[in-house]
Amino acid sequence: MLEIKNLKKYFGGVKAVDNCSFEVKPKTITALIGPNGAGKSTVFNLVSGILKADSGKIIFSGADITKAKPEKISNLGISRLFQQTKLFNNLTVKENLLLALDNEDTKFWKNLFSLNKLSKEKETKIKEMLNLIGMEKFESTLTRDLSYGQKRLIELLRTILNPHKFLMVDEPVAGVNPKLREVIAKILEKLKNQGETILLIEHDMNFTLNVADWVIVMEKGKVIAQGKPEEIRNNPRVLEAYLGE
Amino acid sequence: MFSQLFINGLIAGAIYALVASGFSLIYSTCKFIHFAHGAVVAVTAYILYLFFSLLGLNFWLAVILTIIFAGFFGWLINKILYKKLRKRKASNVILLIASVGLLILLESLILLFFGADVKTIGFIKIAKGLEFLGAIITPLQIVIIISSFVLLFLLFFFTKKSKIGKAMRAVADNRDVAEIVGISAEKMFSWSFIIGSAIAGIAGILVGLEQNLEPTMGTNLIIKGFTGAIIGGIGSVPGAILGSFLLGFSENFGIWFLPSGYKDAIAFIILFVFLLARPQGILGRKK
Repeated sequence: MLEIKNLKKYFGGVKAVDNCSFEVKPKTITALIGPNGAGKSTVFNLVSGILKADSGKIIFSGADITKAKPEKISNLGISRLFQQTKLFNNLTVKENLLLALDNEDTKFWKNLFSLNKLSKEKETKIKEMLNLIGMEKFESTLTRDLSYGQKRLIELLRTILNPHKFLMVDEPVAGVNPKLREVIAKILEKLKNQGETILLIEHDMNFTLNVADWVIVMEKGKVIAQGKPEEIRNNPRVLEAYLGE
Repeated sequence: MFSQLFINGLIAGAIYALVASGFSLIYSTCKFIHFAHGAVVAVTAYILYLFFSLLGLNFWLAVILTIIFAGFFGWLINKILYKKLRKRKASNVILLIASVGLLILLESLILLFFGADVKTIGFIKIAKGLEFLGAIITPLQIVIIISSFVLLFLLFFFTKKSKIGKAMRAVADNRDVAEIVGISAEKMFSWSFIIGSAIAGIAGILVGLEQNLEPTMGTNLIIKGFTGAIIGGIGSVPGAILGSFLLGFSENFGIWFLPSGYKDAIAFIILFVFLLARPQGILGRKK
């Protein structure tokens, strides 16, 4: 589904992503792991179009998206959760989710007077999703007034609601309390059972190795190992990268 | 006296609010100060003069064509100047300098094509004013107040309720997130220029009918619109409207106590007071 070929991104002298190649197969959860500064989030930024690669190729469902704009990549079906929570802070929870729910917001004449036949259906869907995470009361709350954990959940909902074929999730449980972590883990498990294709970055090794089908390990911008979770768990190269010599 | 100053303040506020709301819409979406917005007001007033007084078109047809022209003109400014600068990663200071340059260029072009002498559109003949609560108001001034209120309400409804308005607010809030959920920021920038400039066009038409046209009229209007937007909270369209009316009233009630020559000074004093005491404006949030 996603192919990364010899991808390079340098920031001055820093080789953030250096000749990186890997593949994500459909209907799998692939984890991208590695120590801080390994280049994982840079790969995410390159795939989602926020950064442009110096060289190499990114192929998604057969289409070359290396130089595509972020909105085009989103409309092709790649949805993404940021490492640092990013929402529309001055919009309500419902507005945040509605904007993600379809990709026709920029069709001016169609949307000028909110002429959208599916809007009731969409509102119902949003209510159902908010019910699922117990946040139905917050529908009209501005997202800037939510707690960190609530913001994380809303961002995860937004990522799921954004029409997609492929999900990229950057550290979904970082900095959240154990209860919320369970909620997020259940959501990811549900997505896995639905046959979603997910690329996941997570520092928590236990969490990652439990949910992932395939693990790719990066260090200093390069892929140093990949395999099934049980293979990666005992790989000396990986242990060295994490624990040092 | 009070009611006359109130009416005068309302008329001034309505015109400033039209200029400030379009300016604020563009600022909130694109995040830079488009000073040439004042020149768009002036150019459209002259375009109405061209269509109606020089070419002899039907007045209402000329008005519609002028509004369409204003929207197109705003789109063109963004396309051939600001979009290109953004592509080259120009900073906001560069964009600001470009906008001031464009303001001066457009005023010079008006001077070149229409001359320095004042022009009158002349559609509305001098009519006897109506008496309202002891104040005199002309039918045109009533039209200015009503059309401003209707337009400002429509703009508020558009940004708050329509999907495209929400998409614009989304880009204004966080461009990265907007693009990640599939909204094209560049498209929203274009639409904010089209809508903001069309409103500026309507302001130009109303000012053009009420006053004489002169090449530098846009500079004065953008200074007032900008002041209104700062007072109300820059980047907030409702704030810009509120600030503009406050400015209109302050200027007109101020000359109750001071000679009328101090009118512009009052605007700047209020601007400085707000910048010192409440820089985020009335509706703005402290960062």
